[in-house]
Amino acid sequence: MKIFEVLQALDRRYIYLVVALAIIVPLMIPYNSDVVTTPPTENLYQLIDSYAGRSDKAILVSFNHDAATMPELFPMEVAIIRHCFERKIKLFTVSFLAAGAPIIDYAINSVKEEYPDIQSGVHYCNFGYKIMPMITALGMGDNIATTIDTDAEGRKLATLPIMKDIVNYNEMNLIIETSGSTAGGVWITYARAKFGANVAVGVTAVMAADMYPYLQSGQLIGMLTGLKGAAEYEKLVDVFAAYRDDYFPTGRPFSKEILRDESVKKLINITTQTQAAFTPEEYNSITAKYPLQINELNKLKQDKDGQVVFDVSKISPDEQKALGDNLWNVLNKKTYNILYKFKTARIGMNAQSVAHIMIFVFILFGNIGYFISKAKEKKA
Amino acid sequence: MSFELISNLVAAFFTLCIFSFLYKDNPFYQMAEQLLVGISVGYGVVYSYKNIFIPYFYQPIFLKQQFILIIPALIGSLYLFRLSRNLSWLSRYPIAFSMMSVGAGVPFSMHASILVQMRQAMVPLETLNLFLILIGTISVLLYFYFSKAHTGLYGKFTTLGKWYMMIGFGASFGLTVMARISLLIGRIQFLVVDVFKLLK
Repeated sequence: MKIFEVLQALDRRYIYLVVALAIIVPLMIPYNSDVVTTPPTENLYQLIDSYAGRSDKAILVSFNHDAATMPELFPMEVAIIRHCFERKIKLFTVSFLAAGAPIIDYAINSVKEEYPDIQSGVHYCNFGYKIMPMITALGMGDNIATTIDTDAEGRKLATLPIMKDIVNYNEMNLIIETSGSTAGGVWITYARAKFGANVAVGVTAVMAADMYPYLQSGQLIGMLTGLKGAAEYEKLVDVFAAYRDDYFPTGRPFSKEILRDESVKKLINITTQTQAAFTPEEYNSITAKYPLQINELNKLKQDKDGQVVFDVSKISPDEQKALGDNLWNVLNKKTYNILYKFKTARIGMNAQSVAHIMIFVFILFGNIGYFISKAKEKKA
Repeated sequence: MSFELISNLVAAFFTLCIFSFLYKDNPFYQMAEQLLVGISVGYGVVYSYKNIFIPYFYQPIFLKQQFILIIPALIGSLYLFRLSRNLSWLSRYPIAFSMMSVGAGVPFSMHASILVQMRQAMVPLETLNLFLILIGTISVLLYFYFSKAHTGLYGKFTTLGKWYMMIGFGASFGLTVMARISLLIGRIQFLVVDVFKLLK
């Protein structure tokens, strides 16, 4: 029983140290784990995805937070923006907080680096920092271009190609607010109640309990809850929006069956993937498409379990050059490696799980120790 | 040294300064805390000047000659009289104008936060969840009804309301822990990935 007494008297700094290690180790050594998606995240994903490729539909993401809540909210913003860029969904962004405006630029630029064909004013438009949320939210119900007037780059909104077929909430029919405090307030109160716009929120875990009544009453069509919500959305983007094959050259639609399928596992590995494996048929089609690089390919390939395998980490810069950019991209794509910025939340959730177990153990020991000391006091 | 490296090193230094408080209060923590407050205020002032004062005051009045805007600008400037002990009453006028937006929001807020929530609590009890929500709503509301003593069967029912709230507080606490750990994860990811480049 002495151990419980020692634990009860333990200096809090040792607990900090253990929690820090519980977080640092899983972050330094990522391991593959699955994130189970929940209906609030799936509903939001599906609604956004239903706008794919449509010129008469758009979404608005309202960045209502500063840097303090970025660890939870930034990964979900990146995931939503990536979804839009993968599936060519018109995206608008706004912030009613001065400190939120630079975060919009940071989020868009982080994703845009990987999508060179995406253009500002054509595929997305940043309204930037705006004041008077209530007036802006009500005004956009009538006409977005006259209410916002100019975007963050000072361009007249009405002249931008993205505004073609977009007038008000009938077209920009989904507003997602990411916030570390009261999320969705202005949009639920004005845009939804008066104009019937769909509203969703991405909130820090602290705020989630406050938002559930709105979700339950149907005023929110979806909700991303803290790092877990971001991790779920990252997974959905990898499994559906970023998926490419001959049948789905621009990503595939959401399906519960696919999520349950074993084949999904290779798409959501968060450890670094370097092996590109092709079936003999796939390899033949590649050699037919790139006949000039056939000698280089034959030199680099390995045969494993009836498959043709390339280890991209062992290909030197000179060999990359010989393969050419297009073929190099084909090999890289086939590794299913996910860039760190697109799996931040999932790696974070690994650390989160370990930290939760540690905290649970501390609570358990603390309670046992408390009751033992209480019993001893009674005896005495 | 690149700009990114310098900015990351500065951020890493101040992150560690803040974390040093976990050991004990010290001058590094105090410095970081006070710098944060100062920089936040400075940033806010400059950003507001550039994004509010210039586009909503200077440009319309001085460049576009929309002189009617001088009236709201003058009313708004009455806020500054908060700093005067004798004339602070003048600041109540812009406050009165801003209360208009509060009034305008009342009907919509009533709709979103009360009427729709009530409607959703009155749906047919088709699932167990809806039944639990109904019981929870009534028992919690009755727990806060203090004109009748919480005794007997009524007292047991209000105790159920208390249990509902306890479960709610527990869920909130769990979510709070999750959020705080997420913040720590974010900072450590920054140190491990962006500063020390230990992961690709």
